[in-house]
Amino acid sequence: MSAPKQMLLNLRVEWTPTLENYVAGGNRELISRLRGLADPRCFDAVYVWGSEGCGKSHLLNAVSVMGRPPRTILSFTGLTAPAEIPAKPGALLLIDDVQDLSAEAQIGLFRLFNSARILGLSFLLTGPCAPLQLTVREDLRTRIGQSMIYEVQNLTDDEKKSALQRHARLRGMRLDDNVVHYLLRHGRRNLPSLMAVLDTLDRLSLEQKRQATVPLLRELLQTSFELDPK
Amino acid sequence: MSDFWSACLLRLERELPAQQFNTWIKGLRVETAPDNAAQVTLIAPNRWVLNWVRERCLTEIESMGRDFTPKSVSVSLAVDDATEPLATSSILDSDAEPKTTPSDIGPTLRDPIAAATGHRPARSIRFSDPVFERTRLNPEFTFDTLVTGRANDLARAAAQQVSQNPGVSYNPLFIYGGVGLGKTHLIHAIGNAIYATDPSKEIRYVHAEDYFSDVVRAFQQKSFDTFKRYYRTLDLLLIDDIQFFNKKDRTQEEFFYAFNALVEAKKQIIITCDTYPKDINGLEERLISRFDWGLTVAIEPPELEMRVAILKKKAEVEHVDLSDDVAFLIAKNLRSNVRELEGALNRVMAFARFHGRPIGLDVAKEALRDILGATNRQITLELVQKTVSDYYRIKVSDMFSQKRTRAIARPRQVAMWLSRELTDRSLPEVGDAFGGRDHTTVLHACRTITSLRFKDTVLNNDLHVLMQTLKS
Repeated sequence: MSAPKQMLLNLRVEWTPTLENYVAGGNRELISRLRGLADPRCFDAVYVWGSEGCGKSHLLNAVSVMGRPPRTILSFTGLTAPAEIPAKPGALLLIDDVQDLSAEAQIGLFRLFNSARILGLSFLLTGPCAPLQLTVREDLRTRIGQSMIYEVQNLTDDEKKSALQRHARLRGMRLDDNVVHYLLRHGRRNLPSLMAVLDTLDRLSLEQKRQATVPLLRELLQTSFELDPK
Repeated sequence: MSDFWSACLLRLERELPAQQFNTWIKGLRVETAPDNAAQVTLIAPNRWVLNWVRERCLTEIESMGRDFTPKSVSVSLAVDDATEPLATSSILDSDAEPKTTPSDIGPTLRDPIAAATGHRPARSIRFSDPVFERTRLNPEFTFDTLVTGRANDLARAAAQQVSQNPGVSYNPLFIYGGVGLGKTHLIHAIGNAIYATDPSKEIRYVHAEDYFSDVVRAFQQKSFDTFKRYYRTLDLLLIDDIQFFNKKDRTQEEFFYAFNALVEAKKQIIITCDTYPKDINGLEERLISRFDWGLTVAIEPPELEMRVAILKKKAEVEHVDLSDDVAFLIAKNLRSNVRELEGALNRVMAFARFHGRPIGLDVAKEALRDILGATNRQITLELVQKTVSDYYRIKVSDMFSQKRTRAIARPRQVAMWLSRELTDRSLPEVGDAFGGRDHTTVLHACRTITSLRFKDTVLNNDLHVLMQTLKS
C-alpha cells in the first residue's frame, strides 16, 4: 500500500520579474539599455525579439515595474492595444507581441512613432522575429526597424544551471547538481519549461515526501511532461 | 484673472474629450503679471504640454480672453522649472546657442541618456524658438544632412528650387516614393530652408493623419471657421503621406478647398505620398488632377554607393569614424530603405560603445545579427534532417529507417546531435522525429558524437559546416 499523498497548502513564492532577477547571460547590453528607459529624460525606441520562452515578457514586465514617477508607463500586448493609445507626454509605451496588433492599432502606433519627437515618447516593443521579417504594415515596420534592435540571446547551459539553482533556492528547495544536469539533458531546453518542471518536481517531492532526486525527476518527465506536455 | 482661467477650464472641459482635458489642460497653472492683470502666463509642467497647448488651444484661450473682458488678455506659455526635469541649469546652455532647437531630442530616438548605463551620455533638451516649434519642423532634416544620389537627385533639385521660390516654381510639389526613402526628410528640408530665409513665413508640417484629426476635431467642436482660417493663412503647407486620405471624404473636401485657396494665393503646397498620384486609392479625381498642376517627382530606393554615403554622412554627424568596409557591410545587408539603414548604424555604434570596442567588421557583424535575424532562423527537426541528408547524400527517409549501416547511422547520429544543439526539443521528442526511437538512443547518439568530434577532425569539420549551414 502506497503512502498517503500529502495535501499541500496553496502557498506560492511571491516572485515579480525584475531586471535584477533576470539571468542576463549574453544580454547585458540589452539589460543596460532597458535600465536607461526608467529615466524620464530618455528618448529611446527598443525592439526586443526572440523565440517563445526566451524571456521577452519577463523583460517587459520587469520594465513595467521599473519606472518611478514622473515617467508614465503604458503597457499593452499586441492583442489588447487600442487603436488610439492615450500616450501622455514623456510616457514609455510597452507593447508585447507587436505582430498581434490590429490594423487600426498599427496605424495608432505608427502615429505615435511620428509624434514621438514632439511628445518625448519612448518605446519598448517585442516580437517573435527581427523587424525585417515582421508582418506589420511597411511604414510601421520600418519605424520599428529604426529602433535599437536586440535579439534575446539564449542562455548557455551553465547560465541555465545557475538560473535553476537560484529558482530552487527561492522556493526553499534542495537541488542536487545531478538533478539539474539530468534536467538539462532530458528536458526541453528553454528556461520557462525548465522552471515549470522544477516547480512540479518540488510539489511532487512534497506530496510524496520524497527527495527531489533524479529517479523522481525521471518519473515526472515520463509521466507528466513528455507523455502529456500540457 | 483666476476667474478668467476658471471660465476657460469650464469651457475646455466641456469641449475637449475627458482624456485630453486631463492630460493636457488640468495640470496647467495660471500666473498673472503683478503689474498687469491682463497679462496671463500659463505654466505647463513640461515642454510637451506646452507644445500641445500652444498648438491646439492657445488661440481659443486668447479668444475666450476677449469674451471675458473688454480689454484684450495677453496669454503666454511657460514651463514650470520646478517640475521640468530637462531644464536644469547644468544642461542648459542658452548663452552658447541663444536660438536653439529641439534637435537634441533626435528624430531617430537615439540612445538613452543615462550615463550610468554606459550608453551615450545625457543629451540636454533646450527650449527652442516657439515660432519655429509651431511649424512642427524637425530641425535635423535639412538639405545639408540629406545625401543625394541617383535615387533622389531630381527630387532634391526640385525641392531646392521650391525652397528658393516658394509658391512660384512648382505648386504643388508632389514627392512620391516607397516607405523610408527620405520623403519626409526632403519636405522638412524645404520647410527649414524657407524658415531660415524668412522666419516670418507661416509654415506648417502636418501628417495626413493629423490633418484628418484636425478635421474631426473641427467637426466635433463646430470650429470649422477657425480650422479653415488657420490652414488658409499659411505660406507653406507640407502635408505628409497623403495616401492616408483614402476614403476620408470630409477630409478630402476640406483639403480640396484649402488647396485651392493656397494655390490661388500663390502659397506653396508640398505633398508626399507612397505612390504616383493616379495610383492613390480612394482619393477624389478632382484632387488627383490638381496634384498634376505642379511637378511630380519620385524618390527611388538608394543604390549601394548612396547607401554607403548615407551611412558615412550620419557617422560624420555623430563624430564617429566609420571605415568603408563597415559601411559597405551595413549597406549590403539593408537595401530597401534609409530608415532601417540608419537604425542599423545606430545599433552598431551602440554596440561598440557598450562593449568599449572600436567599430570594426567583427563588431558590425555581431551587432547586425540582431537586426538581420539570420541566427535565429527557425531551425526545425525537419530542417536538420534535410540538411544533414543532403550533406551526406543519403535519403531523408533514411533518417527514420531502421537501417544501421555506418553510412546511414552516423549521419543520423549527427542529425540527432544537431537537433539537441540547435533546437529546444527534448530527447523523447527528437527520438520520435527519428522514426520513433527511444530517448536513450538519442542520448547515446549525442554522447557518441560529442566524444568523437574531438578525435575525428573530419567529423568535427562536418559538424562545423552543418551548423553554419543551418544557422545562416
